Amino acid sequence: MNVQAKPKPVPVISSWAKPFWDAAKEGKLLYQRCKDCNTNVFYPRIACTNCFSDNLEWVESSGKGTVYTYTVVESNPPSAFIQDLPFVIAIIKLEEEGVQMLSNIVDCDPHEVECDMPVEVVFEKLNDEITLPKFKPIKA
Amino acid sequence: MIGKEEEMSNLRGKVAIVGIGEIPTARYPETAAISYAIESAKMAIRDAGINKEEIDYVMPTASLYSPAFNTELVTCRVVEELGLKNVKKNCQVFAGGSSSSCGLEMAGALINSGAASTILFVHSDKLGTGVDLQAGIDLFAASGVSLEWEVPYGQHYSSIAALACTRYLYETGNTPEHLAAVCVSNRKWAELNPNAFFRKPLSIEEVMASKMLSTPLRAKMSNMLFDGGSAFIVTSAERARDITDRPVYLLGEGGTVTHFVYSQEPDVSRFGWAKAGKMAFEEAGLSPKDVDIAEIYDSYPIFQLIGFEELGFCERGQGGEIFMRGDTWPGGKIPTTTNGGMLSQGHTGAGGAVALMVETCRQLMGKAGERQVPGARFAVETATGGTYMDAQVTILGTEIP
Repeated sequence: MNVQAKPKPVPVISSWAKPFWDAAKEGKLLYQRCKDCNTNVFYPRIACTNCFSDNLEWVESSGKGTVYTYTVVESNPPSAFIQDLPFVIAIIKLEEEGVQMLSNIVDCDPHEVECDMPVEVVFEKLNDEITLPKFKPIKA
Repeated sequence: MIGKEEEMSNLRGKVAIVGIGEIPTARYPETAAISYAIESAKMAIRDAGINKEEIDYVMPTASLYSPAFNTELVTCRVVEELGLKNVKKNCQVFAGGSSSSCGLEMAGALINSGAASTILFVHSDKLGTGVDLQAGIDLFAASGVSLEWEVPYGQHYSSIAALACTRYLYETGNTPEHLAAVCVSNRKWAELNPNAFFRKPLSIEEVMASKMLSTPLRAKMSNMLFDGGSAFIVTSAERARDITDRPVYLLGEGGTVTHFVYSQEPDVSRFGWAKAGKMAFEEAGLSPKDVDIAEIYDSYPIFQLIGFEELGFCERGQGGEIFMRGDTWPGGKIPTTTNGGMLSQGHTGAGGAVALMVETCRQLMGKAGERQVPGARFAVETATGGTYMDAQVTILGTEIP
């Protein structure tokens, strides 16, 4: 495929989610907790998804979770990712927090990834402005 | 909870589809997208056998390939091109892949309220020749996929489908061959469909030998984008009976919205089909065993398999075997996705499910030619949009049970 490597898409950051992205640069994975009804919220919202309260606080996640589902992307990705093939996209369940997020599984052979496998967060610098939380298997 | 009067569309038997039109799904590099809309709409009006001036409301759904063309649809080009004189409103109804079901329900509600009498719903898009392959992948990777939470990780439609496949296979113990069986079943129908793009016989082995895209999803388990156009005409049940001997009545509508960001879907191996299906079947007063045809939205085989099972056509995890042994094929016990689906007819954007709606009507009207399901009276049709953000279920029939 004669496609020029495109720069990676950077997250289009919502103003209220800025603390999440700032913390990621510092190596911390944050989620929100509603101070009124105790609901854990991810991805970051303007208001609690349960009670609409805007009294949300930022809490640091343990960064530990499991792979709910995954795929090894082997061909035909968005053009900015062609040079990364093969790579793993997964939905991670942060078990303690009870929330889910999309990420990549890194630091392993892509074909070793399995459903329900325990993983922990790592941070990958995309550029000076953006660091993406990713996950790696927790070795027994 | 489910089946309460306030959850139903209250349109059971009140409105009907009386005309359908569709151009073959294909590549038309030489012709403009507006012509697909005009041709399909003309066919639908002629099929209904009505005077075009009866149409008082036009619903063009969205075209994705070009914002400029979509603006033309919004700004009444279809009305002017068709020379329609009595149109009160031209208003776009768009819910991605769910546009057909959402459009039919909205059209039905407008007609039932008296705000409209005869509505033309029309789709056209040029995703086959209006954009190149990589541009298409890039367009869809940023179309309904969260720009903050998913696009930066390389999420795109193949990976979205693959994530559902992985969890479904893990939970049910099925194999990728079961997914391939859905593609084969759809192809059996497409072989008999002159409007389908892929019409050569297909085997499970061929699907399994095709290029791996995102595990376990292979190239021949993926839809391809084409140019296409389709249209249908909705009117009151009363008027429909004047026009035709075989009105296709709306009997039940069910729907549920489950997510915007794909990773927020609580169950990527089920989605909302069970709830939406129950609503629609209860409104219709029918059950899956009463329907003659299951027109289940595909785009990828996993979504067709999940929809088929969750609607109650079989136990969870058994669908793959049913597709494999031929129950869903022409001549089978439960004919399924009889136009070949987006996997074989071709994907035209919002038109994928419009084609399925048109096919449902075509079968019920007895106009499906070589692939006609004999004596079909009741059918279920499903649709879903975005990253499988919702589950929409429509029950149609030639009589009101």
